[in-house]
Amino acid sequence: MSMEDYDFLFKIVLIGNAGVGKTCLVRRFTQGLFPPGQGATIGVDFMIKTVEIKGQKVKLQIWDTAGQERFRSITQSYYRSANALILTYDITCEDSFRCLPEWLKEIEQYANSQVVTILQTVLWRRTNQPRRVIAPPSCPPTGNKIDLAEKREVLRHRAQDFAESQSMVYLETSAKESDNVEKLFLDLACELIREAKQNKLDNSDAAPMLGEGKSISYLSCCSIN
Amino acid sequence: MEKLTFYALSAPEKLDRIGAYLSERLSRDVARHRYGYVCIAMEALDQLLMACHCQSINLFVESFLKMVRKLLESDKPNLQILGTNSFVKFANIEEDTPSYHRSYDFFVSRFSEMCHSSYEDPDIRTKIRMAGIKGLQGVVRKTVNDELQANIWDPQHMDKIVPSLLFNLQSGEGVERELLGRAAYGNIKNAVTPVLMHLDNHSLWEGKAFAVRCFKIIMYSIQSQHSHLVIQQLLGHLDANSKSSATVRAGIVEVLLEAAAIAASGSVGPTVLEVFNTLLRQLRLSVDYELTGSYDPGSSIGTKIIKTHGERQLQEAVIRTIGSFANTLPTYQRSEVMLFIMGKIPVPGVHPALVSSGSGPEGTRMIQIMLLKSLVQVTAGFQTTNMLTALPSSFLEPLLSFSLTEDPEVRLLVIHILLSLIDRHDNRPKFSTISIISDISVLKLKVDKCSRQDNLFMKKHGQQLYRHIYLGCKEQSSGRLHYENLYNLLALLSMELANEEVVVDLIRLALALQDLALSTEESMPVYNRCAVHALAAAYLDLICQLTTVPAFCQHIHEVIEVRQKEAPFLLPEDVFVEVPKLPPSLEKVEGEVLFLQSKITEVLGGSGYNIDRLATPYVPQYTDEDRLSKRKSIGETISLQVEVESRNSPEKEERTPAEEITFETLKNAIVDSVGMEEQERERRRQVVERFQKAPFEEIAAHCGARATLLQSKLNQIFEITIRPPPSPSGTISSGYGQTQSRSVPVYEMKFPDLCVY
Repeated sequence: MSMEDYDFLFKIVLIGNAGVGKTCLVRRFTQGLFPPGQGATIGVDFMIKTVEIKGQKVKLQIWDTAGQERFRSITQSYYRSANALILTYDITCEDSFRCLPEWLKEIEQYANSQVVTILQTVLWRRTNQPRRVIAPPSCPPTGNKIDLAEKREVLRHRAQDFAESQSMVYLETSAKESDNVEKLFLDLACELIREAKQNKLDNSDAAPMLGEGKSISYLSCCSIN
Repeated sequence: MEKLTFYALSAPEKLDRIGAYLSERLSRDVARHRYGYVCIAMEALDQLLMACHCQSINLFVESFLKMVRKLLESDKPNLQILGTNSFVKFANIEEDTPSYHRSYDFFVSRFSEMCHSSYEDPDIRTKIRMAGIKGLQGVVRKTVNDELQANIWDPQHMDKIVPSLLFNLQSGEGVERELLGRAAYGNIKNAVTPVLMHLDNHSLWEGKAFAVRCFKIIMYSIQSQHSHLVIQQLLGHLDANSKSSATVRAGIVEVLLEAAAIAASGSVGPTVLEVFNTLLRQLRLSVDYELTGSYDPGSSIGTKIIKTHGERQLQEAVIRTIGSFANTLPTYQRSEVMLFIMGKIPVPGVHPALVSSGSGPEGTRMIQIMLLKSLVQVTAGFQTTNMLTALPSSFLEPLLSFSLTEDPEVRLLVIHILLSLIDRHDNRPKFSTISIISDISVLKLKVDKCSRQDNLFMKKHGQQLYRHIYLGCKEQSSGRLHYENLYNLLALLSMELANEEVVVDLIRLALALQDLALSTEESMPVYNRCAVHALAAAYLDLICQLTTVPAFCQHIHEVIEVRQKEAPFLLPEDVFVEVPKLPPSLEKVEGEVLFLQSKITEVLGGSGYNIDRLATPYVPQYTDEDRLSKRKSIGETISLQVEVESRNSPEKEERTPAEEITFETLKNAIVDSVGMEEQERERRRQVVERFQKAPFEEIAAHCGARATLLQSKLNQIFEITIRPPPSPSGTISSGYGQTQSRSVPVYEMKFPDLCVY
C-alpha cells in the first residue's frame, strides 16, 4: 500500500501583474467557478487539485501570488521551490504585456536555478479575460474565441514573437468562458511529468523509472479533458 | 478510544500500522466530505500521538503529518484549522529521535499563505490567519533548535515567515519574539532582512510608528549580544536607501534612534567609528541634496524634487541619533568619537577636497553647523574625571579655532560643546541666564576640589579658553544667547576647574572685559558694550561670593548698588531681557560704576592671592593656536620638516605664564611672530621647491643630515633631563613631560633616516 495518494506532486506558481486574472484562472481550474468582482489577492493563495493523466495521479499544488508590488518579497519566496511558473498577462492591457521581461528577470533572480532550467521550456503565460498562455514549444498555439476580443490591445503576433524569442509557444485562455484553462494546466502537468522522468533518467541511470519511459504526447493528454 | 490507546501503548510496534489505517480512513472521509469522521480520526491520531511519545513514534509521525497535510490541502476552513491544531500539538512534543528526511517546506508555505487569508467572512478569515500564525509558531518551535532542520533560517523560509507575521503583527508579535529570541548569530541577518523588505514594500518607513514598533520587538526579543548586528543591518539599509525620499530615510533613522536606545551598550558593537561614519555620511548627503535640490548632481532634469523641509527633519533626526548612539558609549570611546567628528568638520580653505562639489561655501558652512550640532549631542551628558585625556589638544584646538569665525551660529555651538564638556556636576542649568544673585547658596551648587589633572588641564588650555571668551564677547554679532552662554562658561570654569591661579586669571579676564566695553578703539554697538558690562558684573558678583573674601564681596556689591541706582543698563536685569532698556549712547561710564582693578588687587592681596599677577591686565594672546591652524594647511609631504623647525625655533618658549608679558613684550612678540611667520613661509616655499626639483639623493642626504643633527641635540637634552630621578615636585615633572614629548620625535626622526631609501 502506498503511503501517498498520488504519483506526482508539482508545485505551480502563478505570477504576473496585478489584476490580470491569476486568481480567476486558478478558481476556474480548481473549483470550476468564475468569481466576478474578485478582490486583489493578499500575499498568496493556495489551491490544490489532483488530476489523472494516463492513469497516473498528479497532484498540483497551485500557489496563486498577489500581483501587487507591496507583496513582492513574500511572493518571491514562493518562486524558489516551484516546479513550474505560469507567467500571466492580460491581452486587453498593454502594460501587463510590457512587464513580461521584468517578470522574466525576477524569475531568473529568485527561482531555484534547477527549476529555471526546467522552466525555460515550460514557461506559461496567459492573459486576462482572454487569457494568453505561452506554453512549451510543443504545445500548438491555440487561437481562441475570446470573450473580450474587441478590447484587445496586445496583438497575437506580438505575443507569439515574444514567446518564440524565449523559446515558448503561447496559449490564450479565458477563465470566464473556461477556454483553454484545463488545457493549460494539463499540458503543463504532462510537460512536468516528462521533465521529471527525464531527470530521473539523467540523474540515475541504474534506478528503475517510474513510468513506462514512453514520452507522453500532448494530443493524448489533452484528449483527457 | 481508551482501549485503542491502551493497545497502542502495550504494543508499540503496532503503532505505525494503526497510524496508516487511521490516515487511510481519514483521507477517504475527506474525499467523501464526511467531516464528522474526519474529526474523529484526527482526534484519535492526536491522542495516540500525545499518549505514545516513545521511541517508536517516528513512523507514526509520518502518517500523522501526512494527515495534517491532507487537512491543510483542503479548502474548508474548518479542516485547515483542525489540521493546524493537530500540527501545533505535534510541534509541542519533543522528539528524541530526529528525522532526517522530514521536510517542513509545505507547512511553512501553507501557514504563511493562511496568514494572508482573504476569506470573505471576516470572523473565519481571522480564525484562519490565527491558525496560520500558530502553525508557523509550531514550525519554528519544532525546527529552530533542531540541527537537522537548521534550514528554517534560510531566506526561502524566512522570507515567508517574517512578512506573514508582520502582516498580522497584532497577533503575530509573540511568534516573532519567540523566533528572534532563538536566532543565533549567523541567522540574524536572514531574520531581519525580510523585515526591512516588508517595510520597504509596504511603504512603512514613512509612517515610522509601525517600523519603530517592529524594531522595538526585534530589539527586545533578540539576544542582547547580537543587537549590534541589527543596527548594522539598519545602517546598511540606510545606505542602500541613500537616494530614497527624505521621509524614508528619516524613518530609518528614527528606527535607528529607538533601536540604539534599547540596545544601550550593545548597540554599537565592534565597529564604533563605522556607525558614526555612516550617520555622518548621511548627514552630508542630506545637506548636498538640500543645496543642490537633486539626488544626482550629474543630471538635473527628471529627478525628484527634493523638499528642503524633509531634508531638514532628516538632518535633525540623524543628529539626534548620533547623540543617542554616543550616549551608549563609555567615556573613552566617546572622546574617540568626538575626535572623529571633529576631524570631519571642514575648515574652509584647509581641506578643499573634503568639501563636496556643487555645494560651495554655503555647503561647507551647513556641514560645519551640522557636525557641530552632532558634537553638541555627543558631548551632552559627557562626564569625565580626567579632562586632560578626555579633551586632548587635537580636539580642543580645532574646536576653539571655530570660535574665531564670524558666524554667530557656529560660535554658539562651540560654546554649547564646551559647556557640556566642562560641566561635571550638573551646574550648567543653574547659570542658563545671567543675573545678579545676592546669595549664591540658593543655587545649591555642587563643587568638588580640583584634581591634579584639572590643574594641568587649565595650565595647558586655560589661556586658550580665556581668549575664546574674550574674543567671543568682542564679536559684534554676538547676541543675548552668546552672552548668556559665555557667562555660563565662565561660571562653570569657576565651579569645575578653578584653583587659586585660575580664579586670579578669571578675575583679570572679567576686568579686561570691562576695559573692552569701555574701549573707544573698538567700534562696538551700545548693546554689546552694555552686555559685556553686565556680564562682567554678574560674573564678578558670582566669583566674589565663591572666593568668600569679605572685602572683595563688599567692593563688588557697592559697585552693583551704584549701578542699580545710576546705571541699571550696565546690569544684566536691564540688558538681558526681551526689550533691553538701553541709553542711546554710552558716555561717561566712569567712577563708581566701575570695578577697580587696584581695589580688587588690594583686597585679594590681603587674602594671599598673587598680587603681581592680579595687577597685570589681561591681554588675549595670539599664540600658537593660529599658527597651528595654519600649519595644518601645509601638505603632508613637508609636515616633517615643519615639525623639526617648530621644535628648534624658540617660539615654543612663548608659552610661559602670562604675568611676565607686558604690553611691550607682547607687542614685540606679535610683531616678532608675524616676522617669524614670514620667514617660515619663505622657508617652506624653499623646502617645497627643493622637494619638487632636487634629485632624490640630495633630499635624502639632506634629511639624513638634519636627522642626525636633531638627534644629537635631542640626545643631549635627553641625557640632561633623564638623569635626575622623577621627583614629585611640579616643575621637574612638567619638564620631564616635555622631554617625553620631545623624545618621541627622536624615534620618529630615526625612521626617515632608515626609510629614506
